[in-house]
Amino acid sequence: MTEHELQDDEMNSGLSIAERDVFHAALAELEDTVPPRDVWRRIEAQARAEGLFKHRVAEGTKWFAGTGIAAAVVLAVLNIPFANTVVDSGGGNISATPPVSVANGNTTPTNLSALMVQSQQIERDLRALPGQPSLVRASTAATIEEIENRIATIDFWLSHPEVQMSPDQTEIYWRERVRLMNSLLNLRRAQAQRMAF
Amino acid sequence: MSKFADILIDPAIVKRATRGDAKAHEILYRAFSAPVYSVCLRFTRVPAQAEDLLQETFIEVIRKISQFRGDAPVGIWIRRIAVSKALMFLRSAWHARGQSLDDDWEEITFDGRASAAGSQQHDQAMDLDAALADLPAVGRTVVWLHDVEGYTHKEIAGLMGKTESFSKSQLSRAYQRLRPMLGAEIEREDAESAMQSSILSSC
Repeated sequence: MTEHELQDDEMNSGLSIAERDVFHAALAELEDTVPPRDVWRRIEAQARAEGLFKHRVAEGTKWFAGTGIAAAVVLAVLNIPFANTVVDSGGGNISATPPVSVANGNTTPTNLSALMVQSQQIERDLRALPGQPSLVRASTAATIEEIENRIATIDFWLSHPEVQMSPDQTEIYWRERVRLMNSLLNLRRAQAQRMAF
Repeated sequence: MSKFADILIDPAIVKRATRGDAKAHEILYRAFSAPVYSVCLRFTRVPAQAEDLLQETFIEVIRKISQFRGDAPVGIWIRRIAVSKALMFLRSAWHARGQSLDDDWEEITFDGRASAAGSQQHDQAMDLDAALADLPAVGRTVVWLHDVEGYTHKEIAGLMGKTESFSKSQLSRAYQRLRPMLGAEIEREDAESAMQSSILSSC
């Protein structure tokens, strides 16, 4: 602000110096409000969907190493053999094949867009729910975290440009994503109902 | 006061972010999400809307950071995006209701409740959060931009697509509403210091 602008502002403020000092002191004491935790996940998902992040193989490998346990859980849930996938924990390359074998060919005809729409709807429903209560039972928090980790792992496989999936594999992953999102929604709804009472 | 300029970010992080590094963007988000969310919440007062604006702001940051030249701190650049998004939201909300920004005070003062009730309520204690929340959205926004973020009337006028007189008038009206609370606070402070003086002199 220039000297002239400062003078101009002072003349137009309508507050005495004492009032202004008190006001500015009180403004300085106002605390910032921390946003809900899930906003970054939404931003990250949108950025990945729009291809705004550059994917590097090494980065992806590090990310995967950090969530190795969650990935294993997903595979257990999917009950799918860990075929053709090699993750070099020493920082090597990630296999271009997802941890899914479609050898059994048990998938129904692909209805990917319906699954995506369903997934978006559940995400909207989740966003519409009130924020998580500050006090959460440890078991509920652990379950929610586990489900969120599983979804994040699935998202990783679905969005990583190095991963090549057949349409059937993609559908399996989307179907599992919808199932997990539904579980999460049910848990969060139950939480919201408890908060209401 | 504004936290944006006080948050220091390693230039290497910004450089990584310009290359589209997700982790670097997450670091920027962790550093600036609270000030951005707070500004959006002050402007809209609705947490869900503030969350949407926070998301829009950081998506814009991710999209446009390659254009960031580093002339000013990255926080100031992020703040500009957040303020612009929040103002755009306010303008569209007004537009959707068939109102202009100028109608804002009329809506409140004709209603008649807010100014009287607000003044009485804030005579008792310095509750700035509540006092700001009592102001109409445009007045509150101008106060925040001017007194917290340090924008000039000229800049505020540019951001709001109005004249400098509009900005000055909004600020002046907002101050009039806040004066009873500020006056009460000054009286309280004076009384406290008088009491302390009398205690000291009696010792």
